[in-house]
Amino acid sequence: MFDGAALLHLIGIGKGVTRLKKNKTMIVVFVTPAVVMFSIIFLYPIIRTVLMSFFKIEGVTDAMSKWEFSGLANYIKLFSTELFRISMWNIFRIWFFGGIIVMGLALLFAAILTSGIRFKNAFRAIIYMPNVVSAVALATMWLQYVFSPKFGLFKSIGKALHWEWLEKFQWLDPSHLFIALLVAYCFGMVGYHMLIFASGIERIGTEYYEAATLDGANRIQQFRYITLPLLKGVTKTNITMWSISSAGFFLWSQLFSMVVSNTQTITPVVYMYQNIFGAGNSMTERNAGIGAAVGVLLSICVVLIFIVCDKIFKDNDIEF
Amino acid sequence: MAKEKKVHDRVNWHKEFRLAPGYIILSLWVLFTFVLLGWVVGASFSTSKEIFSGAVFKFETGIHLENYAKAWNTSNVSVFFMNSLVYASISCVLLIVICAPAAYVLSRFTFLGNKLIQNGFVAAMGVPATMIVLPLFGLVAGWNILNVSLANRAVLIFLYVGINVPYTTIFLLTFFSNLSRSFEEAAAIDGCPPMKTFWKIMLPMAQPGIITVTIFNFINVWNEYFMSLIFANSDKVKSVAIGLYGMINSMRYTGDYAGMFAAVVIVFLPTFILYVFLSEKIIAGVTGGGVKG
Repeated sequence: MFDGAALLHLIGIGKGVTRLKKNKTMIVVFVTPAVVMFSIIFLYPIIRTVLMSFFKIEGVTDAMSKWEFSGLANYIKLFSTELFRISMWNIFRIWFFGGIIVMGLALLFAAILTSGIRFKNAFRAIIYMPNVVSAVALATMWLQYVFSPKFGLFKSIGKALHWEWLEKFQWLDPSHLFIALLVAYCFGMVGYHMLIFASGIERIGTEYYEAATLDGANRIQQFRYITLPLLKGVTKTNITMWSISSAGFFLWSQLFSMVVSNTQTITPVVYMYQNIFGAGNSMTERNAGIGAAVGVLLSICVVLIFIVCDKIFKDNDIEF
Repeated sequence: MAKEKKVHDRVNWHKEFRLAPGYIILSLWVLFTFVLLGWVVGASFSTSKEIFSGAVFKFETGIHLENYAKAWNTSNVSVFFMNSLVYASISCVLLIVICAPAAYVLSRFTFLGNKLIQNGFVAAMGVPATMIVLPLFGLVAGWNILNVSLANRAVLIFLYVGINVPYTTIFLLTFFSNLSRSFEEAAAIDGCPPMKTFWKIMLPMAQPGIITVTIFNFINVWNEYFMSLIFANSDKVKSVAIGLYGMINSMRYTGDYAGMFAAVVIVFLPTFILYVFLSEKIIAGVTGGGVKG
């Protein structure tokens, strides 16, 4: 079977070099708008934010000439501020505990989905759905309905099953607000990570499982010794994506702290937002450099996690 | 023949039985999702009094469509809704116009900086918004134009487009690299100039990828929160996410739960409907053309 298109493709490789020179204008015209947008929205702000974090800056709009160099003072100030330390602890708790819950459930669901069940596509679509709808709407449903102490879903479930602890549990009580936030947030995030795990499992060849079955390995053993080791690449992707979304954690925190303002749900991004853009009720001094330092710290965390993941999950055979 | 079928059936039942724990776990999760959505929709047709007495699905006082009318008109949801629709539509078009040519050139030609641009775009997808928002705000606030609603809208659209440029470009880049070069060769032999080849042949061929990435961009812009919160200066230009937040905030004083749930449904519906029809395409897009770790 000889393919005409493949032949043309072969000739094309030789011609590519000459074509390239002719098309310099095309390359420039086509690539410039995207690169310009990238430079304005990402490159310039990132560089400026890094610089800002080493200066004392009264107002966000101040020109560079008004900046006052302060070295690492902003970072030292941040770490000596209790509210910021709490916010970092909160985001760590969300990343760590939420990560375990989400990855565990996502892996479990992915394993079930790929085990040959019926209605696979329907299950998959419904579980992924919360990722598509407005998070403000979703958070409102949880806050105003599921956790409601008067007519909440969890209260009704507790009542129906005669689980008194669930019926009586005050989710929106300041001391329980963090758990409520974690439960609601994880519910929405499971679907995305499940999709990544499921497509990773689907890419593993069936011959591994057939060989294992012949050797007498049961399903659990197969999962432990074939599926898990071959999922290194997608696990890396999942942890990276989870860390990126954790670093930007803002919306859920803001919505949950609306009910009762407390320190349980504050995250670094909320701290920075209140510091720079907020009404200024709780902050004493305005310094845009501190806000910039928060951004830099979060970025460093993401980069560190990425490097560590890269070291741990060296095997990149299967990735997306 | 009949005997064989029987055996086949029995094996199947055995298999289904073995999978029962899996069915139960997924069904409980799905049931929870349905109850969550169903109740909110039910509540939006009910009254605040019925919600509190736990009689949401009885509809003793009839179906209250006026909750929607009230949310749509008096609570400004119509304004937020139209704003978001305009922002999302314009941003989606601009993103394709800007990113498709760049993605094509990046996927087809080797030139100085190609790899650098690609790596930069991939890295940009992991940058937290906190890292870019201060200089952007400083820049825009320095122009003193946020009081003019048209300029404010333009700034928002510019931001929505800019934030999504790296993702859109990388997504389309993977798509273009999977298209065969033979089409361009054939066009070149027929004397079609390269730029024309792109617009007339390659872009239409990339249509499935363009549709998928546009769905994602629409959803992203519709649900965007952080930037909108900081840059949308007045009620006139707010997007649905911010508008809804404000509504819920004021709802605490009015106590109009039914109206609030109606607003939640209105905000929730557009991307939900999109998803009902396009879930297969969206899911394929998440796992296929996604980020390369």
